[in-house]
Amino acid sequence: MAARKKIAKYTGKPAKVLQSEPALVIEWPRSLVHRHTYGKLSPFFKGLTEGKLLATRCVNPKCGEHRLWLPPRADCPDCNQPMAWQELPQPVIGTVHTYARVEYAGAGIELTTPYFQIDVELPGVCTIFKGYLQYGTPEIGMKVKACFRTKDPTNTILDVYWIPVLDDTDVRS
Amino acid sequence: MITLKEGNWRIPKWNRKVFAVAGGLTNYRKFCAEMKLEEQVMVAFRQMLENNDLKLSPVEIKGLINFLACGEFADHFQDQLLCEAKVTDYLGLDPMYDIGIKTGGATGGSTVLTAAMAIASGYADVALAVGWERMSEVDTRTGNYYIANAACKDFETRLSRIYAAYYAPMAIRFAWAYNLSEETRAKVAVKNHLYAYYSPYSQQPGKYTIQDVLNSPMSTYPLRFLECCAMTDGAACLLLCDEETAYKLTDKPCELFIAGGSHTLRVADRRDMEIPLLPHETPEMYKGLRKKEGQRWPGFESFAAARFAAYFAYGMAGISNPLEELDLVELHDAFTISDIQTYGDIGLRPYGEEPDYIESGDAYFGGKCPANLSGGLIGTMHAVGATGIFSGVECLWQIQGKYDKFHGDHKIWESFGKKKPADWKSLQVPDAKQAAWVSHAGVGSHVTVGILRKAF
Repeated sequence: MAARKKIAKYTGKPAKVLQSEPALVIEWPRSLVHRHTYGKLSPFFKGLTEGKLLATRCVNPKCGEHRLWLPPRADCPDCNQPMAWQELPQPVIGTVHTYARVEYAGAGIELTTPYFQIDVELPGVCTIFKGYLQYGTPEIGMKVKACFRTKDPTNTILDVYWIPVLDDTDVRS
Repeated sequence: MITLKEGNWRIPKWNRKVFAVAGGLTNYRKFCAEMKLEEQVMVAFRQMLENNDLKLSPVEIKGLINFLACGEFADHFQDQLLCEAKVTDYLGLDPMYDIGIKTGGATGGSTVLTAAMAIASGYADVALAVGWERMSEVDTRTGNYYIANAACKDFETRLSRIYAAYYAPMAIRFAWAYNLSEETRAKVAVKNHLYAYYSPYSQQPGKYTIQDVLNSPMSTYPLRFLECCAMTDGAACLLLCDEETAYKLTDKPCELFIAGGSHTLRVADRRDMEIPLLPHETPEMYKGLRKKEGQRWPGFESFAAARFAAYFAYGMAGISNPLEELDLVELHDAFTISDIQTYGDIGLRPYGEEPDYIESGDAYFGGKCPANLSGGLIGTMHAVGATGIFSGVECLWQIQGKYDKFHGDHKIWESFGKKKPADWKSLQVPDAKQAAWVSHAGVGSHVTVGILRKAF
């Protein structure tokens, strides 16, 4: 008696036809999960969940740039030497350098639209830090205060956000 | 502070001259269902070989090509790795080597640069610069998310997931620093949609008013939909040669110079630096530029990558005053604001006076140095990997005096299922001798400036 034939079976899900004229167009689903490391910037993202804003500074005495970097970098782009971490003193008060009101966002947006994205100047920092304003209407030169999502953190950059500083009482954290 | 040393300032130099002889485009659309990627590339390739008045047959020319530079922005869109192999095989150019090029929105420019380097070095006598993008593989919002991966994924992407939101802060800051009105921005959109109206290749032609633009739906304030380019399916080809082959192939070759510059992916990381001056500029011109508190260069107002690309390209071509010496430009108007920002970077106006290039009329057909007569990205296309090639092709056809041949022939319109408008008009720049085009990535992470010069 001949051995039972092993046949290769189709186990997928038939592709949905979206249109058949003038050409056949099918749906091609994609659902993928990537793994991403924050690498040497992990202290920054862990810091957000603890209510801290951590920047880096080049400690090489021969380097020309000793201001803070935020976003931080583990290594200095000028002298290529490792940098050191430094926490910004609380409350973290910055100035709006520019802003935008996001009305139409791409897929996967995690904030309700419309909202204001702001770019913030911080004292002693050589870069400008992008974030979002939780409420209020920004203008260039406006003072803002950093707030942190320490409860139910997202473990992403969205764990830091800003609120307007309206008077001196807001500066006291 | 970025400090440059002597070697960094070296002007690039070809070891032998490089020429562009022929180009090909496709019918740019949001969704081209009836053709696959490589089939669209074939359309551009055939136009390049068959319709550019070349003196050898397509098969003979194919027999001369020995290198391909292939531009594609994002594997996300094609969802197919090694498209280069598919395209080279499909065009019948195997086993010639093809290198895939990727520098975001500047992919097309970088592709032409790579092909030009192959000619200049002697690696090839005839090289094909070809680029494509199939952005319709996903819906628009997913496409926006993919493109937002060209912002920093750790610090920026989650803050909007759409590229307009990375340009809108520049628009706000530029308006604050240099008195740019919403109307001037809208005029760029009106102009480029209108020029697209005369192009059979265009995706977003239209006769709009300033008010139409300002009333159109908001993408990210202050940028409206009519101020933004769209997602496009399409391809483009440009054929480059050494000097001897160029004259063998055409009576109308153009000499090519092209160079690039790069800067941080995040605008936030652009520390204040000294402005590298173009030949016609003096330090005195910029003494009062940083007059407002917190101002820096390039900051959110300008693109150092574009300034450096212009510096190197003008140096290669011996251009000492771009506004006087260029007969037209094709700029990377992905957004009205990025178009305006670039006027300063490439020296069409001094920094701080960019809006005057539009307001003076210089930027219009009939003006001193018209911009984006092709319809640009806002009006005609942004199939990203093809874009910087498309802009170069449009410059080439202008210098060759072939604007009408490639835009006014009703057969081309009909082959795309379109009707040539009854009020079509020619945008041929009379006696154009020299043109420049800009190919631009990210929020200014990579920029090339190419120059084509009449050589007949």
